[in-house]
Amino acid sequence: MSQHTLDVIKSRRVIRTMTDQPVAREQLEQILEAARWAPTGGNQRIHRFVAVQSPTLLRLLRMVSPGMFQQPQAVILICIDWKKVAANQFPATDRGPYVDLGAAMQTMMLAAHSLGLGSGPVTSFSKAAVRVILNLPERLSPELMVCLGYPAAPGKQLPMRSKKKVTWQSLTDWDRYEE
Amino acid sequence: MTDTNLLTEEQAIELFTFLVAAARTQLDDPCSYASMRLLTAAEKLRDFITAGVSPEAQLLLDSTVEKTEYAQIIMNDTESYTAALDELCEMVARYLVARSDLAGGPSP
Repeated sequence: MSQHTLDVIKSRRVIRTMTDQPVAREQLEQILEAARWAPTGGNQRIHRFVAVQSPTLLRLLRMVSPGMFQQPQAVILICIDWKKVAANQFPATDRGPYVDLGAAMQTMMLAAHSLGLGSGPVTSFSKAAVRVILNLPERLSPELMVCLGYPAAPGKQLPMRSKKKVTWQSLTDWDRYEE
Repeated sequence: MTDTNLLTEEQAIELFTFLVAAARTQLDDPCSYASMRLLTAAEKLRDFITAGVSPEAQLLLDSTVEKTEYAQIIMNDTESYTAALDELCEMVARYLVARSDLAGGPSP
């Protein structure tokens, strides 16, 4: 892994305050292209991405998303295609689709950061309402939105919630788990 | 007190939608988020109405901005979060007392 890749990973932050500068469609396409290369279980592509740039749709999505603090200029909604999940004979209880979802999300967020964009994931939204707003078919369940936009100046960002300092050591056990 | 409509229809619908959506998402979210969602709704309401209220009410609403932002940041620290919300409640209560007949002091 190059130092540049590590720098991108370590400097990315969840952005909760964004400017009103528009996000270009080409940038969204680059982020979607990156997500296409995210790892998926069995190399099955059981996700469907919905890219939203319409100001009206963005406003409606925000209204039904209590977890969306940002005012994004674009949103990529990640859906699970349950018809594909069934066709690939994954058991209904399999968590693979959600693991893949996280991989796609992180890949998008890193791609966005590489392009100078800010991003923030949102899962607190009414799936039923989003389904109606975006005219989603029954087989697609909306699971996570990646909000995209240019980050507001550092001083205008909502501060991170207080938490204990985290290091890789505090998250890791080596060989066998020890209390 | 002003008698004009403080909310436009659009703002009222936005707030209504937020509350309904939050009622649903709260079934999946951590219990502690419920308090945060209510605070966010209060912030939305405050932002919508501030320009249209009386100067006294505006003073109250403006004085809560820093407190609500701070509360959102420290919500993981239950003790501090509780204290911040208590302070907000006290600020509102003081305002209510000041604008009521109680403001004149204890009755003889």
